[in-house]
Amino acid sequence: MAIAAESIDRRPRLVRADGPEKVTGTALYTADLRMTGMLAAKFLFAEVAHARITRLDVSGARLVPGVFAVLTAADLPDVRYSAGVADRTLFARDVVRFEGEVVAAVAAVTDEAARRAIDAIIVDYEPLAIVDDPEAARADDAPLVHPHWADYESDPSLVRHGNVAAFSSIARGDVDAGMAQADVVVAGRYVADGSHAAPIEPRAVVARWEGEKVTIWTSSQVPFAARDGVCETLRLPTNRVRVIVPHLGGGFGGKCGFHFEPHVAALARAARRPVKLVFTRREEFIAPDRRRESMIIEITTGVNNDGTIVARRGHVILDNGAYIADAAFFPQLAAMHVAGPYVIPNIEISAELVYTNHQPSGSVRAPTAPQTTWARESHTDEVAAAVGLDPVEFRLLNAVDTAKIGPTGQTYDEIGLIECIRRAADSAGWGRPLPDDEAIGVAIGWWPSFPVASGAYVKLDSDGAGQIITGAQECGTGAVMTLRRLAADELGMQPDDFQIVGQDTAVAPYDVGATGSQTLFNNGRAVVAAAGQVAEQLRNLAADRLEASAADIVLDSGVAHVAGTPDRNVSIIELAAIAARGELLIGHGSGQPPATPEISGTTCVGDQGMAAWVAPQFSCHAVRVKLDRDTGVVRVLEVDAVHDSGTIINHLGAVGQVEGGVMMGVGQALSEGTVYGDGRQRNAALLEYKLQTAADSPTVRTQFVEIATEGAGPRGAKGLAEAPNVATAGAVANAIARLTGERLRRLPMTPERVWEVMG
Amino acid sequence: MTEFEIASSLEEALALVAEGYRPIAGGTDLVVAARTGRAPLPGRLVSIERLDELSGIEPTTEGLLIGAVVTHARLMRTQSVIDDFTALADASALVGSPSTRNVGTIGGNVMNASPAMDTGAPLVVLNAEIVLRSTRGERRVAAADFWAGPGRTVAEPDELCVALAIPNQPDGSASAYVRLEYRRAMEIAVVGAAARVDLDGRGRIIGASVALTAVAPTIVAVDGATEVLAGRSLDPATLTDIADAASRKATPISDLRASDTYRRHCVGVMARRAVEAAFGRATGDPIAVPVNRSTGIGAAR
Ligand SMILES: Cc1cc2nc3c(=O)[nH]c(=O)nc-3n(C[C@H](O)[C@H](O)[C@H](O)COP(=O)(O)OP(=O)(O)OC[C@H]3O[C@@H](n4cnc5c(N)ncnc54)[C@H](O)[C@@H]3O)c2cc1C
Repeated sequence: MAIAAESIDRRPRLVRADGPEKVTGTALYTADLRMTGMLAAKFLFAEVAHARITRLDVSGARLVPGVFAVLTAADLPDVRYSAGVADRTLFARDVVRFEGEVVAAVAAVTDEAARRAIDAIIVDYEPLAIVDDPEAARADDAPLVHPHWADYESDPSLVRHGNVAAFSSIARGDVDAGMAQADVVVAGRYVADGSHAAPIEPRAVVARWEGEKVTIWTSSQVPFAARDGVCETLRLPTNRVRVIVPHLGGGFGGKCGFHFEPHVAALARAARRPVKLVFTRREEFIAPDRRRESMIIEITTGVNNDGTIVARRGHVILDNGAYIADAAFFPQLAAMHVAGPYVIPNIEISAELVYTNHQPSGSVRAPTAPQTTWARESHTDEVAAAVGLDPVEFRLLNAVDTAKIGPTGQTYDEIGLIECIRRAADSAGWGRPLPDDEAIGVAIGWWPSFPVASGAYVKLDSDGAGQIITGAQECGTGAVMTLRRLAADELGMQPDDFQIVGQDTAVAPYDVGATGSQTLFNNGRAVVAAAGQVAEQLRNLAADRLEASAADIVLDSGVAHVAGTPDRNVSIIELAAIAARGELLIGHGSGQPPATPEISGTTCVGDQGMAAWVAPQFSCHAVRVKLDRDTGVVRVLEVDAVHDSGTIINHLGAVGQVEGGVMMGVGQALSEGTVYGDGRQRNAALLEYKLQTAADSPTVRTQFVEIATEGAGPRGAKGLAEAPNVATAGAVANAIARLTGERLRRLPMTPERVWEVMG
Repeated sequence: MTEFEIASSLEEALALVAEGYRPIAGGTDLVVAARTGRAPLPGRLVSIERLDELSGIEPTTEGLLIGAVVTHARLMRTQSVIDDFTALADASALVGSPSTRNVGTIGGNVMNASPAMDTGAPLVVLNAEIVLRSTRGERRVAAADFWAGPGRTVAEPDELCVALAIPNQPDGSASAYVRLEYRRAMEIAVVGAAARVDLDGRGRIIGASVALTAVAPTIVAVDGATEVLAGRSLDPATLTDIADAASRKATPISDLRASDTYRRHCVGVMARRAVEAAFGRATGDPIAVPVNRSTGIGAAR
């Protein structure tokens, strides 16, 4: 992938700290761990979409030589869990609701013995009606995925009914009046297939008990959530469960939440041996309760002849799959994306998260955003065309901007969306002549920053070497670099002077994990606060030593000196040696997360706190594509990605995030889509579920509109990990539509679908 | 448990195969099929990948003899293959990824007999023969007659493919292979087509052959390609005729990759493009290997 000259970092480069061990193969991933006496775990999955278990007999499995433990729901506490709606148990009880549901688990001396034991389990099913179509599942007479939905414990803010696991709406102004007053009304219906996070490392879990305590190594993006899930389902206090995450081979949201840690911990307890689970690729496709949901999106927009949007109505149906996982807030988030970063005085958008017998949906990088943004930005081009406006002009006219009021009544401080649009269009050469099989499309996007609690310790040991002990999880997002830079800057040291110790719930303070683009935003704040305490200790020590006031001590380039007289100094190494004999250099930090902004005039049913966003991030992607008209094959040639993510702390890492997000977006646009048959995934393999490859990657030119944002993360940084995965598919769609004339309203826009739409 | 032998000579390999050992070369079909549960690993395997006897690329008076364990990576870089049997280089250059090409062999591709195999259509249009040997002796089978169905060939279980024999092509002849692919690596042919065109001294087409990938249980040759093309210039009408002939020959299935309708349409497009590329090469247009990459997106010009 080419990096354009203008985006090459002019600031000192931070080399990826965990790079050398990864490229030399010395980095250990969970699946690499070996322990004396360790057993292999295997699961029996439902392999049917919806059925009642009429017989489950594991006695044969127990007789297989080498088997140490066999577990079913009968062996574990009867706990229903899930954030939002407690609709799920660790092992299926009576009914299986999707093909990847775990029915039983075994631990045996070898993979083969475990496989034989699984094969020896007898399970009989009585088929139940498969709920396959989320739109039809809303009907009053539709079969219910959870007949006892009303009895489940749930978050009282959720609006639920039958197969609708969560309903949300956002309304402001008077949409009927707005539509009536509009010169033109444009309506569209868009259908997106589900897709996957598809991390290269299939997940793995190792559990080992010592007495009453269990240590779990797991490929999780969220070690504390993994720990809490174990504690909730196995009824253990948090101080008896230690979760450690070795190197993580990608997550992309798919490894959020807790998954199979409790199953493996329970197996290890029953077997009295360490147990390791490593998923196959197929299991990685079908079993986790995190995948990007399919959606049906309907949008109607009223617009004036001068191009100003007056009203928008929208409805989204989200395929929740069999269990809610963490998707309770998705309807409201989807509604926000259907509104989009536009000034729209009258809106009414509703969204329903609907149970089906599919794999459960859950957070995948920028949940709900790529699909809804694809639909909305497709629609935006259609609206612009209806009033004869250029798509870029139309967006410049209607986009939210500093001091303008957004669709939910939030007023924005300084934001850079307009500048993102201008720069992306400029850099892409919007309007320039192109060969007749090429076109440029643009799309804009937005994404919230998530303020949550987070903690870190910083310490300097006797030789002055630093450690950052953090709950934050590195999942490829670059925390290993930015956190070190923040600590180093606070202490007048170099990033290389610090090692990160983390991803261990028994050692580090809480952090919510690599989710919601939040690590720099929140853990950065914690690290700055913790390093600040050490800085203060150093200034006091230096003040003593240099006979100056602590307030006058400056920490810079590895020394403490008196402001204005650099010669009066003492090295931090010397100070660390002094501290080692007295009060140790230990800082702890957390800090107060920024408050959510006020909004006015908006009514939310089923409110999940998503209608106002802290430090919203903005983007514009301009994409040049080439279409093979004979076959419908589309290639993305160039992408200009311009982002307002506030201050950029590590430019090289930030560019990497954008390029990765864009590639994921190209995949969603063109090739990634789950195909279902009988409620089961037909393409649960990497040959048939087509990720983009390095050979497919376009030239990505990344630019940042840097605004040091108030009420955001450290130094005015916002999040960045998910934002690059928001706008790309929409931009690709708009480019394709310019070439095909007729618009394709299905995602992914596969060659055959593009070919069909061309007639 | 799998027994695994590494043959140290062709003789030993033949003896083991006669005993029921399955040959394994690069293993990119065999091992992957076992890993994904399509076919269990055979109980007894003999590795032939290091046999010198099978790894040559030798010019002979009749043509080129390509050893069975020659890898795709080697084929796509061998000048005589690029110059004289270009469709085969086009095909090898598209296989999988660099690592697949570094271990996957032409013998494995031919013997695995997937309807989507990339080297099959080139071997057919180049009139190649598959050289089979067993402890009983050696025989040759024309590529056009070699595949019997998905995963099936006319070879006996005790026969090893030792080489591919490709006859010298007439002066004024050139070939090309293109395939429809949805992405540019780690792909499998949705459909594909190889073409060979023979020109006379004045640049007129006097002979042609077209074969198709992934539109039938085996690689199939398009009937009467010479009749369609001989004596005609490659104007739109001629190209439409060859595309139609290819589409007519196709009996594709609908699966996850494509519908039968789309496959039938696209194989015509591929056939047309293969003929255009082969003709271009025959008339001195330096279209680099593989055609898929040198002519732009996907398989498109
Ligand atoms: C990621 C990936 C991508 C791929 N992409 C493509 C592609 O784009 N196009 C394509 O055509 N193929 C593709 N393949 C399939 C495969 O790589 C090729 O078919 C390759 O040429 C097989 O060669 P091999 O040496 O690895 O065969 P092996 O797996 O070693 O053997 C395949 C079969 O042939 C038999 N066999 C091997 N050698 C002989 C011999 N000399 N005599 C008799 N029997 C023999 C074996 O017993 C086995 O049944 C891909 C595979 C992978 C894993």
